Amino acid sequence: MSSRILYVNLSERSSRVVDRPDLFSKYLGGSGIASKLLLEEVRPGIDPFSPEAPIIFAAGYMTGVFPCMVKAIAMFKSPLTKNLGESHSGGHFASALRFAGYSALVIHGASEHPIIIKIIDDEVKVKMADSLWGLSPLDVEKALRECSYDGMQSVISCGKAGENLVCYSNVIVDRFHHFGRLGLGAIFGSKKLKAISILGRKGIPLENPLAVKEIYEKLHHKVVTSDEMSKYHNLGTSANMLELNELGALPTHNFKESRFKDAERISGETMAESLLRRKISCPGCPIACIHLAGLKTSFAPEHERGKKEIFYEEVLVPYNYEAMYALGNNLLIKDKRDLILLIYRCESLGLDAMMMGTVLAWVTEAFEEGRITLDETLGIKPAWGDAEAYIKIIDNTVEMKNKFYAKLAQGVVAASEKYGGREYAMALGNNGMAGYITGYGAILGPLVGARHSHLSNSGYSIDQKIINQPISIEQIVDFLIDQEDWLYVLYSLGVCYFARRIYSKEVVCEALKTLGIDKTQDELMKMGKEIFHNLYKFKVREGFELSEQNIPKRIFEVQTPHGKLEFEKIKSMMDYYIKKREKEGLHLKPEAKALKELLK
Amino acid sequence: MKFHIEVVHPERCIGCYSCVYACSRHLFNIIDPSKVAVFVRVNGTLANPFTVIACRFCKNPECALVCPRGALQPLPEGGITLIVSKCEGCKTFDCITACMIRALALDKMTNFPIICDRCGDCAKYCPHNVFKYEEMK
Repeated sequence: MSSRILYVNLSERSSRVVDRPDLFSKYLGGSGIASKLLLEEVRPGIDPFSPEAPIIFAAGYMTGVFPCMVKAIAMFKSPLTKNLGESHSGGHFASALRFAGYSALVIHGASEHPIIIKIIDDEVKVKMADSLWGLSPLDVEKALRECSYDGMQSVISCGKAGENLVCYSNVIVDRFHHFGRLGLGAIFGSKKLKAISILGRKGIPLENPLAVKEIYEKLHHKVVTSDEMSKYHNLGTSANMLELNELGALPTHNFKESRFKDAERISGETMAESLLRRKISCPGCPIACIHLAGLKTSFAPEHERGKKEIFYEEVLVPYNYEAMYALGNNLLIKDKRDLILLIYRCESLGLDAMMMGTVLAWVTEAFEEGRITLDETLGIKPAWGDAEAYIKIIDNTVEMKNKFYAKLAQGVVAASEKYGGREYAMALGNNGMAGYITGYGAILGPLVGARHSHLSNSGYSIDQKIINQPISIEQIVDFLIDQEDWLYVLYSLGVCYFARRIYSKEVVCEALKTLGIDKTQDELMKMGKEIFHNLYKFKVREGFELSEQNIPKRIFEVQTPHGKLEFEKIKSMMDYYIKKREKEGLHLKPEAKALKELLK
Repeated sequence: MKFHIEVVHPERCIGCYSCVYACSRHLFNIIDPSKVAVFVRVNGTLANPFTVIACRFCKNPECALVCPRGALQPLPEGGITLIVSKCEGCKTFDCITACMIRALALDKMTNFPIICDRCGDCAKYCPHNVFKYEEMK
């Protein structure tokens, strides 16, 4: 497998290729490689928006070779958390990078004027791109799409939110996918990097094609026939809406309630029956979990000559459970079209829908409480379920219309620290919460996870499996630790989170063997743990202190399938977690001296 | 075993490239979307449906007609076969551009056109029956 890393310097508009077989033999690819490059390339204490702050992308070791090996990993210093930025995306990006002959891409420097990086195999160019600045990522995708008869292309781009340095702006990948959550869009914006286009036209050679084909056949069959995967294909993750509502674990009204009386009106089932137009896949995955809704808007009413509108234009908007929870039930949005409209606004601007939803929920509540007034909101009255007002707030946030909106652009925690209402600023580790109020795993998981995501260690998932079961809190913590370590193995290979159950330890060992890698399950687990440790070394170095993480009080006031959660219980879980991780040799407290050095 | 293969439901294509990867695995023991005889093409933007192209096994194929050296020989069952000795040295690649649906790709390593050998793997791995395929007698 290729161990070539492409380095692009935006200040010098230059590029070079570095071969790092040492890194790849140790960490294989993806998260592993990125975690090591992060420690190597990022100067301690660096400002996320400094030109020197790098962006690291890595494709998985098995990208393109086996089914569902689609994820690209991005690592950077996050402007939202001022710490580890880690984000995973599907789409064509990882595959195009591999087909262009690289396993990783590292970007340094910054430009004064808007630019893009254009890669066609060995040809790498940094090009002027004033004409793209200010455009929506959806228009950029059209502009940069090559008319090519062969190869595979990926176009990734930030939107206006990234250009304006909104701390939770996304990079939109191939129109319908995202490097989301921790503000990669703003890092693009700070470098004046509008987009990257990669066209890969080389192949991935197979050393032992017969063995690869045999395993591929088995895995492909499993993926297309297993019940685990059919959920993602049928309704997609939006199936969660009614399941969680039934369970009483659906965050509603900014987590005041765990059921939404209008859930059926915006559920995955409703979407599938009415708005669903198409489903699409990432290359190499036969699932098609990306569900696209048709958003109709009236077509130039002035041409309809006053008659009833009979003609519409339609755009395709990707929807999934997380965006639907954050901009739907949590804001009491009960009209499905309103919900898709809000998602579309976030997509067009390149915003993380989850954090934006969390911010809007906080704004509505802070306004109700009089913590903010019409002076701050510039005359807009935020109200539950009012999509029109929410769209105006989204626009003003991206434009940073005044000091208040500029604060909103820094995330829900920053806003609540300034205006109050921290107890209902629903973030864990500074990252907006996911749509699960399932139990202890859903809280502790993102809190301790390296990237503070619900996907870090599947805490929300274990919660749902252990309802009414005699499981100790220590067992939950043990699961979270094992799961996160193992997921980092999968993320080094390129496995999509949705296919995690297909790629068991046995399967991974067997598949790796066909590619000439002989590793035991224990060795792989050790590798996963080491990747996690690398990331925490970075976090602690940058001043992250696990024991001092805040949990919004609201969490303890709402009913969950495990009753009301108790702070003391989470605290003892955290203590046990820290003890266990420290036993592994991980230092979780920033050293005072190092910290002082950093703050100098 | 040889198959008759036909693209019958291109609108069902989800862009998973399972057919493309299967084809390059079969023909060249490689994963390479450029070294294939079946194509999933993006039309200007991913918002548009994909185009799926496979050889239509023409009775009177234009690719064969335009070859100045007669390197592509039409087959009685439709489609073509490549006579490798006759193909060498061509620099114009007329066959590639002659095919109206661009079902022939050029193998950049050898400069030969890549011909579908009717193995049926594209259809076999397609999760949505975009292809119709049946065994040839």
